[in-house]
Amino acid sequence: MPSASEFANTIKSGELIESPNEMTPEYLRELKHTLVVSGDTELISAPAYYLAAKKAPSINAFMTGIAIIQDELAHAHIAYHILEELGEDQEKLIFSRDPKSFRYPYAFDVPLDSWTELVVANGMYDQAGFCLLGDIHDKCSYGPWKRGLNKVMAEENFHLRNGRTWMKRISQAGGSAKEELQTAVDWMFPLSVEWFGLPDNLKMHSTQLEYRLKGLTNDQLRQWWLSQVVPYCEQINIKVPAHKETKDGTDVYVLDYPFPCEFDAENKRWDFKKPISWDDVLVRWRERGPRNAEMVAMFQEEFHQYRKSHKNGN
Amino acid sequence: MPVNLVDLGIVYGIAEHDGLVEVDLTFTAMGCPASEFILEDIRERLMREEGVCDVHINIVWDPPWSAARMTQAGRDALEAWGLAV
Repeated sequence: MPSASEFANTIKSGELIESPNEMTPEYLRELKHTLVVSGDTELISAPAYYLAAKKAPSINAFMTGIAIIQDELAHAHIAYHILEELGEDQEKLIFSRDPKSFRYPYAFDVPLDSWTELVVANGMYDQAGFCLLGDIHDKCSYGPWKRGLNKVMAEENFHLRNGRTWMKRISQAGGSAKEELQTAVDWMFPLSVEWFGLPDNLKMHSTQLEYRLKGLTNDQLRQWWLSQVVPYCEQINIKVPAHKETKDGTDVYVLDYPFPCEFDAENKRWDFKKPISWDDVLVRWRERGPRNAEMVAMFQEEFHQYRKSHKNGN
Repeated sequence: MPVNLVDLGIVYGIAEHDGLVEVDLTFTAMGCPASEFILEDIRERLMREEGVCDVHINIVWDPPWSAARMTQAGRDALEAWGLAV
């Protein structure tokens, strides 16, 4: 095991870490935490998307939805497989943890109830995943994960394409279809903005940045996401509560509402007149949202049932 | 996918008559999850050509597609992407 200063030099030099005996215990802990968040996010997107994909408007659309879910499970597998190589028990991680201890973005706990909400998730949540994983792919100091992400990035593009193509199609249809799309964007846009976490002025120190497990700060990632989503929504005539400004010669996206603010998860409604603190947001995140237990049960219950009924080799 | 449809070998034929373009097209699998996107892309691209006023795409399954139908450029692109072909 390297000393702290040897390890700091390796990280600073830009070299990749390839195995646990090249890491400090602190790096190993932070790497595992980052992988758990990534694996949990990909895994939980599968039941979240499946419950909405069932409402696909055609067999072809359903096939696309199912293919996306298959990709997400494969991406989760990459993260959990690396965790196993680092000494964790994949089976325990997936099937024996309490639902509330899963570490995925709160947005997935709010039910996606229609095909329209699913395609907005593909356009916005997958864009968030694309920014976060794209940054890790670009900067990650752990070689096996960085290489594994090559294909993940290519496949995430397909999910984005599904989201954007359908959002455009639904917007062009006009009438109640477009209204439904706008309603979905109204509650899903701010949830995606929240996805990137505490703003930089409240997050004084990032161990992930120090260890090159990521390269961009929360606010930089949020700006990247906004720079992709806001212009696209404007192009397809869907309103979003953010706009572009030029500050000191640089384009920045500014939110048109207090961030963070009150969210009613049951009714999928934001109250832009009620700003809240980040402590309040963290409380909401820790309590998890309406669909957390149901989604985790979707894969845990059957696993334990199967184990029980096959324990004697029957 | 980092490979164009011609190099992938799924375009079986193309003909134009009085501005109408007819394309014979197959997919690599009957359950291709990107089939709608591919159809849209072909229509959109061909309609950008001068003189084209309509596009008909016939989806055909005979002969079935196999990796042998890919061009060398298509193989190289997929291999660079990490697929064994």
